[in-house]
Order: sequence, then C-alpha cells, then structure tokens
Amino acid sequence: MKIKFTLAAAVVAVALASCAKKENSEAVPEDPGNFIVTVTPTASTGVADYLLTASSLDTGRISTAGNGVEQDGTYRYYVTHNNKFFSMLYGQGNPGAVTAYNIVDGKLNKLTNFQTETVQAFAPVNDDLLLFKISRNVATPNSLWYKVNTNSLLITSEGSTNTLELTGTGELAHFSWLKQVGDKVYAPYFSIIDRTFATNHPNNAWIAVFNYADMSLNKIITDDRTSFIGRYFTDGLAVTENNDVYAFSSSVAVKDGTFNSTKPSAITRIKAGTTEFDQSYFFNFEEATGGMNITNWLYVGNNTFIVNATTKTEKGAYTVGSNVGIVNVVDKTYKPVTGLPAKATIAGLTTNNYTPKDGKTAYVGVNLTDASSWVYKIDASTATATKGLKVEGGVITAIQHLD
Amino acid sequence: MQSNKILLLVLLCTYSIFTSAQTLSSLKGRIKNSAGEPVPAATAKILNTSLGAITNEAGLFVIKHIKPGSYTLSISLVGYKTQTRHIDIAGKETELTITLDDDLVTMETVMVTGLTAAQESNRQAYNITAVDAKKLYNTTLNLADALDRVSGVRVRESGGVGSNFNLSLNGFSGSRVRFFIDGIPMDNFGSSFQINNIPINIAERVEVYKGVVPIWLGSDALGGAINIITGNRYRNYIDASYSYGSFNTHRSVINAAATSKSGFTFQLNAFQNYSDNNYKVYVGAADIYTGANGGKFVFVPRFHDKYHNETLIANVGVVDKSFADKLLLGVTLGKNYQEIQTGARMESVFGAWHRRGNIVMPSLKYKKDNLLKNLDVTLNANYNFGTEQNIDTVDARFDWYGNSKPGGTGGGERSRSLYKYKNNNGIVNTMLNYRIAENQSIALSDVFTTFNRKGTDELKIEQDDAPKKTQKNVLGLGYSYNIESVWSASVFGKYIYQNTVTSDRNTTSTMNKFGYGIAGTYFLTKDFQLKASYELTNRMPEADEIFGDVINSEGNPNLKPEKSQNLNAGAAYAFAINSDNKFMANATFTYRKSDNFVYSRLNQNQTKLIPDNRDGVNTVGVDGEIRYSYKNWLNAGTTLTYQYLQNLQLYEVNPSTGQYYTTKSDLYGDQMPNIPYFFGNTDVAVTLKGIGGTKNKLTFGYNLLYVHAFWLYWPSRGTPSTDTKKVVPMQLSHDVNVVYSMADGRYNISLEGRNITNELLYDNFSLQKPGRGFYLNLRYFINKTNN
Repeated sequence: MKIKFTLAAAVVAVALASCAKKENSEAVPEDPGNFIVTVTPTASTGVADYLLTASSLDTGRISTAGNGVEQDGTYRYYVTHNNKFFSMLYGQGNPGAVTAYNIVDGKLNKLTNFQTETVQAFAPVNDDLLLFKISRNVATPNSLWYKVNTNSLLITSEGSTNTLELTGTGELAHFSWLKQVGDKVYAPYFSIIDRTFATNHPNNAWIAVFNYADMSLNKIITDDRTSFIGRYFTDGLAVTENNDVYAFSSSVAVKDGTFNSTKPSAITRIKAGTTEFDQSYFFNFEEATGGMNITNWLYVGNNTFIVNATTKTEKGAYTVGSNVGIVNVVDKTYKPVTGLPAKATIAGLTTNNYTPKDGKTAYVGVNLTDASSWVYKIDASTATATKGLKVEGGVITAIQHLD
Repeated sequence: MQSNKILLLVLLCTYSIFTSAQTLSSLKGRIKNSAGEPVPAATAKILNTSLGAITNEAGLFVIKHIKPGSYTLSISLVGYKTQTRHIDIAGKETELTITLDDDLVTMETVMVTGLTAAQESNRQAYNITAVDAKKLYNTTLNLADALDRVSGVRVRESGGVGSNFNLSLNGFSGSRVRFFIDGIPMDNFGSSFQINNIPINIAERVEVYKGVVPIWLGSDALGGAINIITGNRYRNYIDASYSYGSFNTHRSVINAAATSKSGFTFQLNAFQNYSDNNYKVYVGAADIYTGANGGKFVFVPRFHDKYHNETLIANVGVVDKSFADKLLLGVTLGKNYQEIQTGARMESVFGAWHRRGNIVMPSLKYKKDNLLKNLDVTLNANYNFGTEQNIDTVDARFDWYGNSKPGGTGGGERSRSLYKYKNNNGIVNTMLNYRIAENQSIALSDVFTTFNRKGTDELKIEQDDAPKKTQKNVLGLGYSYNIESVWSASVFGKYIYQNTVTSDRNTTSTMNKFGYGIAGTYFLTKDFQLKASYELTNRMPEADEIFGDVINSEGNPNLKPEKSQNLNAGAAYAFAINSDNKFMANATFTYRKSDNFVYSRLNQNQTKLIPDNRDGVNTVGVDGEIRYSYKNWLNAGTTLTYQYLQNLQLYEVNPSTGQYYTTKSDLYGDQMPNIPYFFGNTDVAVTLKGIGGTKNKLTFGYNLLYVHAFWLYWPSRGTPSTDTKKVVPMQLSHDVNVVYSMADGRYNISLEGRNITNELLYDNFSLQKPGRGFYLNLRYFINKTNN
C-alpha cells in the first residue's frame, strides 16, 4: 500500500514534469553538408559553440536545437587548412587546445584534440599551422611559437622570440596576426606597454618578417604614414593573386583610454618581391568614406575586399563595424553594400567568414538584435547582400567550408 | 550592529539569571528491560510538568531543575509497558532504576521496536531524515559518504580523498543547503574542517532537513540543512580507529571524553586523512611536446593529487552545573595540504600547483535549560584565525603522462601565486527557547557571521587590496505547538540582513530580506505520519560565492540573492506483516519556485566554476525510501530520487550589452543542465550474532549507488549523442563490507571494498573519481557508563 503511494507520487511528479516541458517548436532537421557554421547559443554564458553542418549557405535553416557538435571552452577560434577544420581553444591564462575535424559524408569527424598554450595568433603556413603565444609583460618578454603539422597533426617544432628586443623601444611587439608571404611569415604588430595595450608609439606601422624555416627574424618593415596594421586577433594583411601584399590600419592605438594616433585609417601596400612599404601607394580610407575606419576585412579575390567599418562615433579598439562596403584596392574605391538589415537591428557581424575567392562572393554571418541569425551572401560586383541560410539557436561565430 | 545588541542582551540576561539561580534537584534514572539490558530511547516524563528526558544508549536519563516535591514519573517506549511511579524529590540528586516489562501485545502489532534518537528526529514537524551515524562507525566513510546514502541527497565530489564536494538536496545545491555542527553554522570553518574530511565517527547522528529548516538552526538556508550532532553520549569513553587502504590511504580517528563526578569535562576529537589519490583515470591524453595520441582515451594514474589533513578539536569545561548544563571552551586546530591535479575540467592538468590551509578556531559553547523557568539558552561563538595559501610557482605545463615542459614565460601553471590569505571569519549564534506550556514554545534565534578576506602575495608588487568583506545577520522567531504523537506545527519568520563590500562595486551594498513559513505534521495513526511545509525563503550569496576560493571556484560579486517558495509534503509509514517482517516507507514531494536561482556553471574558459543566477527555475521532485528488516539479522533499504529542474528564464541577457534580448530564450523550458536528476541507493546488511563468541557479531554489507546520466550543458542544444555532446555518464557503484565486532563492539575489524567492479565514476563532467579500492579498518571502543 505504501509502495503504491510512493509510485503514485512518482507518477504525479513525472506527469507534472512532463506537462511543464517546453512546447516543442517544430524540430529543424540536421543538414549534412560541407559548410561548417559555428554557433554560440544566445543563452549560454560559459558554454561553448556548437558546430553545425550545412549543405548550402544560400538557403535553408539549421538549428542548434538537437543538432551540432558541442565544443569545449567559450572562446573558440576557427581556421580551415589542408582540408581540415581546426577549432582552437583560447584559454586566457589557461592552456589552450587544438581540436581538428574533417568532414565525412557531410558530418564532422574528430581527428585529434591536444593541449597547447593559449595562443593569440595562428595562421596556415605551408602544411602547418603557426601558433603564437604573445607576451604582454616586459618582465617575461619571450613570445612562444609552435608549428602544428596539419598532416601528422603533431606539434613538430617550437621556439620563442623576444618581442621586447624586437621593438627596441621598451615596449612589446604584439602580433595582430600572421600571414605567409612566400617563404616568409609576415607578423604585423602593435606596440604595447603592458597588458592594458596602451602605447606611446601610435603613429607607426610595423611588420616583423620571419624566415619560416627556422623562425629567425629577417627584418622589420616600418611605415610612418599609418598607425599599426590589423588589430588584436584580426588579420590586417592580404596577399593578392599577383603576390602584392595589402595592409589596413584601423588607427585604434590607445593610451589612457583615448585614441592617440594622428594617422588616418588607411590601406597600404608592399609590392610583390619587395620587403618595404610601397610609398607610392596610399588609400586613405577615412577620406574615401567620410570618416570611417576599417575594423575587419575579407579578401574575396581580384583585388576586392569586403570591409567592415565603424563611423567616428562607433569607433572602438575591439568594435566590429556594422557598415559593410566593397573596396577595390587597386582602384582605391569604396562602395557601401545594400541589402543588409538596418544597422540598428544588427547585434553583430561575424568576422570569420567564407569566400570561394571567386573575386566577388562572400558569405557573412549577421546576428540581429531580435536574436535571429542569418547568413547573407554578398555579391561584391553589385555591392548587394541577399539573405541566405537561417541559423537558429544562437549567434554565428564562423562560417567555413571543407571539400 | 543589531546582532551586537542582541548579544549584549543575552549576556545581560545571563548575568541576571546567574544571580537568581535557585536550588533545584535533579533525577537520574537507569532503565533496563527484563533481561537486564539497558533500554535506550525511552521517554521519561514528570507528569503535570514540562520536564522530561530520553534515555541514552546506556539506558540512562537525567532530568534537571526539579523543585523539591512529590511527582509522578512515567517511563514509556514502544514495545514496553508504560510504567508510572511515584517519586519524592528532595536534596540535590535522586537516583533510581526502573525495569520495563516487554509489552508482548504491542510487540505483535506495532512495527517499530523502539525509536532511536535518529528516528525520534524523524518525528518532528520538519521533513527530516536522520542518519544514525553509529551504525557506520566501523566504516571508513566520511560525512559526505554517509549523506550520499540519504534519499534526496546527492554528494558530488570532484575526485578522491579531500576533493571538493557539492551536496544537493532535493534539487537544491551549493550554499542553499547549509551545514551545522551541533547547531552551529559551519560556514567559516575553512578547508581543514569540512564534511568531506570529517570522519563519520565524529557524529552521533546526522540530521538532514529537507525544505524548511527550523528556526533554531538559524540561517538563510533555502533548500535544507545538514546538522551534525556530535557524540556526547558518554561522559567517559575512548573510540579510536585506524584504516589503511588503496591509493596509500590512511585514516585515523580518536574520540575521547573524560568527565569527573564534579562535572569537569574534557573532550577530544582528533582525526587524520592521508591519501596519494593516485588512482587511474581514463582520460583523453596527449603528449605535451608533440600532441601525440591526439586526446585518445587512455588509463593513466593521477600523479599530483596528494591530500592530507590533520585536525584536533579539544573542549574543556563543565557540565551539569547550576549555572550551565554545558559550558565549554574549545579550540579546533588543523591543517591540510592538497595538490591540485586538474582545473574544473580534467582537460587542464597540473603537476606542481598546490594549496595549504590551517584552522585555528577558538570556540565557546554555552547551554542552559531553564535558565529562567522554562527558558532555555544556547550561545555559541567562534572565530577562525586560519590561513589559506595558494602556491603556483612552477612555470611549466604538464600532460597526463606526468611529463612537463617549461613554460618559458615566467608564469605559473595557471597564474603565478603565493597568495596567502585569512578570511577572518567569525560567528555568534544565540538561541532562546521558551516553553509557554507543556506543548507550546517560542524560539528566538540570531546568527551573526562576519567575513573579511585579507591577503598578500609576496610574488606581486601590486597587492590586491580591494575589500572583500561581508557580514550577515539572520534573526528568526518561531512558535511551535506540539501534541505528542498526534500533531505538531510551527510558524516562523526570518529577517536577514547582509552587508557586502567588494572590489567590483567598491561600495557597500546592503540587502534586507524577510521570509516566513509554516510546517506541520499529523499522525494518522502512531505509525502513519503526514508532513507538510510551506516557506518563502531567501538565501544570500555566501562569501566564497562572492569572492571565490582562489582555486577552481571563481567569485561572482554580482550574484543576486535567491528567493524561493518551497512546498514540501511527505508521508512516513511503518508496518509489519508479522513480527519477523517489518517495513518502513516514506516519500516526499517537493515543489519549488525560485527567482534568481543560483546555479554553478563553468566560467568562460571552462577552467573554474562560477555561481550565477537564472531569473526563474521551477523544481518538481519526489523522493522515497523503503526499508525492510527480517528478524534482527537482515536489513535492507532503497532510496530513490527524481527531480526535474526547469529553466523558466524567458529572456536571455546579451553578454556584450548586459541588456535582455527581446525574443524568447531558446532555453526557456529546458531542463537545467549539469544537475543529477535521477538517482538512488540500495543497501543490504546481514548481521550474524554469536560468531566466535557470544559477544561477537559479524556483519556483511552491500551498497549500490545509481546515478542516471545527465548532460553537462543545456539538454536541448546539440546532437544528443555522447559523441557530440558532453555528458556525465550513468554511474553504478557497488560497495561491500564485512565487519567483525568482538566483546560487544569493543574491538572491531572491518574490510571494505569500494567500487568493486571498477566502474568509471564521474560526478562532475570529466572529473573522474576513484576506481576499485579496498580498505582495512580497525576500531577500539570503550566507555564507562556509570559516572
């Protein structure tokens, strides 16, 4: 009799619990494919991204509800190389990790996962990923690099470079990103006093050039027409088809909480085969756009970039611009993109986007203030954006593709 | 401030009462059965007064403060015929011995053969489960292990001996559940004295309050409370045990008390735990230099997880004096050392980082019943001068193979530190209980706690000197009405004041909260009890939640107090098919509606846990227990708990703006992640008496623990497969033990096997607990029952 009572109570509770269960919005099925869309659920502070696959970015609907490969760590950064998808854990003071996947039958397949240092810059070089853990403390000025072979998925070599000696000014060089140019690695940097990222040298651009084979410092390229190139965690260099290197400066150097550079946001160039800034080339972006500064860009081929920019009032050292335009670096033209949602409704644009490098197409993640997210296809030739894949259950953090 | 006034008031009262103490007598009795054996748990009452007592293990009782005169004494206990006897009280002390006759008729029809103090607790209006700790004395269990066997309770540990723990009670966990030792909050005891390192032998019984917590346990507990009642069963005794087992685990406990005829007493509890905790874990390992093995799962031993603690509690004072039933000055001294093998996840592995702590805590305990007529007073105070230190000075990274690689950046493993700090915490706990009449009483309680963390790090030039201060006062007033074995009810109100100074706000924040509740119980028959309670309750952020523990818990200075409406209903029933087959069953239903529900989540880097709020969470739960005994040699029971915690936060907060999104959350209605929701426990014990001697006893025990799998993150997100989604897998753990007791329990030897099938056990995601382990335990116990 007592047992009956217990059972009855259990049944009541289970019934109540199931009544209380959420009314299921119609489930969005899995969408196997070769596109990878990474999504951070809106609600989840301290919870990682989900990796979703999609068969197309132009149309359809995918969701983190019941779908996706759960990642470890909130700050994940993604890069695709050697037809593998790498998910890099940014652990702040803690160890980072490299997790690699390929795609088998339209689904992600985990290849490896190993601990590394938390790194602030990583980029494909030859068959490797080059990783850099960059010092912010003059007392410990060694910045560490690692080469991860994307075939063997092993760390094949490592070393360090003194980023205090590199500047010779008493400030540290902090690489904004890394870019392979021939057999060299170009590492543009900003100069920092300490972890506040303040600087007394706001009016110079520098690129440290390393010989990739042994990571020895080859030379430092400088320019005093702009402030530093790239931004924290932002690739400010692009190599065009003819091996010219283009660089953008945001002009966001700071000290005491205020912007202290007198130089405009601009695009500069290093001609193929040279290791000096081309003093004959200068594209004053601020002038061309009525005062905006570049925050991010994506090279789609054919000297054409999709550019994010902020207005003077929006300007911030880490702000991603919601003003999207097309820049042709050879023609020095800027054209705003039409067809995107109104700026006021945009909560944020994804900075890690996909382009087939056909000279005109890019797929950009657009996260709206109503918590909906979409992939927009941008056609640089017409400077128009069209709504594509709908992504439910979170914010798009990266769009990638594997063959 | 306010509490200071109250304290002053109490002291003044105390003073005035001392001066007016009257010459009263006491009655000492010894109750035996017809076989001449002592009868514990019998009720002795002086009729037409409010005076009474319950016999202890030795069948002894004392009733104090009796005015000289003629009375009728009644002795009753289920299973015995009630006896009444005329007594004349004169002089200082009266002694008598009474033999109870078995009530054979009752024996046939009544199910329980006598309530032990543990069972007596269960009969209060509150929803209480009392664990009779004495039954577990021949095991190597600590308090946490023992609690884990209670229905509705789940203790989650992050590893082996000494590892962090989190107790959840009917779906409430963390600081919603408060710990007390003899009614004194354990909030400020530091790492050297916690339920995961206190052996079960310290306790006489452990009371688990589900839901409403009585006013005399003054606190802002929200989901329940654990009250550890330490043994003062015997005035003179020694209980010593030592165990050795797997993973180089040594544990020793010595409990002793000596009390003179004049009432001078010395009590000593000392215990020690040591373990290398070098059990094997199944973990995704990769070579630290090359990344080889790529995170494939392998078995590797934990290599940096040594833990030891040594604690001594000494109390000296007087008992049974006219001015005090108990006045003890004591000190708790202890230290502990803990190597830190992992972060909040097994992904981050450490090889040199460790911490140390000590406790130096003087204490005062005062208790006096009938200080004024029908007024009982209890005053407890302690202050912890203990120091904790976080030592992370090795600039290296370790992998699970134990290899290390120099960091080269001059840091530490996580963050270079020699941070040494004191929490400077203290507590004053005052309780007044006034019996208006035989069955009515009023209780007033006040608990004041203070915390002020101060520390320095010799490695740092710029010290973190931001204030880390919090003070809290909980004032409670309750009224209870009790008609024994028919019904009882309590109503109460609580007023909580908390003042916190943090670096984030650098301003003082003051919070005032008022809560109230009602609890009642009704006996349908003597053996069929119904209980129900409702409470509106508030629980404030604890110091560790605001400021962190400097290791794997991160502080959240913006944590809001949680407010909850709790409804509990339960029933307990005892019955017998015949005199050999006896059953006991109870079940509890729980409904909770919580605002600003505090839950623990991983921080941004998933390396630490951080407390955070959810706007709303509803909990529906049931838990039940069935026990069976056959004659007096077989005892078996099962507990089962199911609880459904549902997220009802309608809008999520945009982390970059701090504003709510305007569209409904994808997680609305989702089950709360990373909380065990279905679990149970089964135990069987067989006792064979007279093996190898009439006073010897052999017991075989088996315990099964089951925890259903649960997701680490929100259940609705991601492909629900263990390949693609982080899960804490289903756990099934079998423990066995054999105990041989000789000479009526004076010498005991036991062998214990834990997790004998060597299952992979995880309470927290990827934090694996020990595999199979065997432990040998030796115990010696002697007591002198006559004074």
